[in-house]
Amino acid sequence: MNETLEKIENLISETNINTEKLREIQINFMKKELKALHCVDKFLGDFPTFIEPVHLGIDVKIGDDVLLGPNVYIGDNCEIGDYCELVNTILFNNVSLGENFKLENCILVKESKLKFNNFTAFGCVLSGQTDSKENLKKISF
Amino acid sequence: MSDKEEPEIRRIQELESTNLARDEIRDKVIETKKQVERENDLLAERINKKFVEHNIKTFDIVGAIGAGKTAIMEKICEKLSSKYRILVICGDVTTRVDADRIERHNAETVQINTGRECALNAYHIFQIIKHKDLNDYDVIFIENVGNLICPSDFTLGTDKRLVVVSTTEGEWVVEKHPLLFKTSNIVVINKIDLAERLGTNIQKMIDDAKKIQPNITVITTSAKTGENIDKLIEVLGL
Repeated sequence: MNETLEKIENLISETNINTEKLREIQINFMKKELKALHCVDKFLGDFPTFIEPVHLGIDVKIGDDVLLGPNVYIGDNCEIGDYCELVNTILFNNVSLGENFKLENCILVKESKLKFNNFTAFGCVLSGQTDSKENLKKISF
Repeated sequence: MSDKEEPEIRRIQELESTNLARDEIRDKVIETKKQVERENDLLAERINKKFVEHNIKTFDIVGAIGAGKTAIMEKICEKLSSKYRILVICGDVTTRVDADRIERHNAETVQINTGRECALNAYHIFQIIKHKDLNDYDVIFIENVGNLICPSDFTLGTDKRLVVVSTTEGEWVVEKHPLLFKTSNIVVINKIDLAERLGTNIQKMIDDAKKIQPNITVITTSAKTGENIDKLIEVLGL
């Protein structure tokens, strides 16, 4: 994994997230580094719409009618449900999303499993293994 | 046909006809389609306002697969990249072949892979410009997915729309796709270097376009030899 991504992963694993620093690193990563990581040929499932740059890890499963990009990083073994739209968003490894998620400027902590449908979020770190929106851990940055 | 296949085909036919014939669904389908188009137009208007605010000239380039959209873009970028800051948004089902070709001529590119969709829509463009600083550009070209049917339903908020047709598509190509020419401002008839050998009636193509839209500008070019590319740039106002 890329060095900056590791930095982001370390930052969001802390109990008190330094949101200012996180925002700065995230913007820098999206603007400068993601383009070099652009890779969209390793996916399973339906053909989504990609707006570059988008990075897909290994064994990513994508549902129907999905729009990814611009600026989306998806780690290995992630699952994305039908009708999702992700913009400026990072998904670390083994994340799974339900149907109809609209995420912009979000970061999903690794191993998060959001097993519900219809969810919209802007500018936050999301984590949890839950089947309801109420139990989701959400930190704005 | 085997004994098993026949009932299966009959079953599918029946299923399709019942689904299409259900009145309440038919109304809903038509209403949804209209709403999609309305919302696309609204978004396109917003996009156009942004472009005008930033004083950017924008062009949407449509045409069939292999008509020469990318070849013409390459020639235009080659001639203009020293004069203007150009952004080219390329739409394709998959790969970034077109974007790579254009990038070689010093223009910035963004590739959209539409997957199963047959045309770009205003939402795609909106998502891109939302994350770009529009002060960085003077001219934006949007090269649509190779298709003469679907793009006519979706306006993208550009100042002008160019249709690229080529002599290899036959002289009836304009006549057969009237809707697209109705929504366009400029027709480029490409590959005229081949017209003589193919025996294509270019005058018929020009007449058809004028008949569909009297105000349309028609230019004949050859991206390969570079013929009339300067004239095209002049017509674009660049």
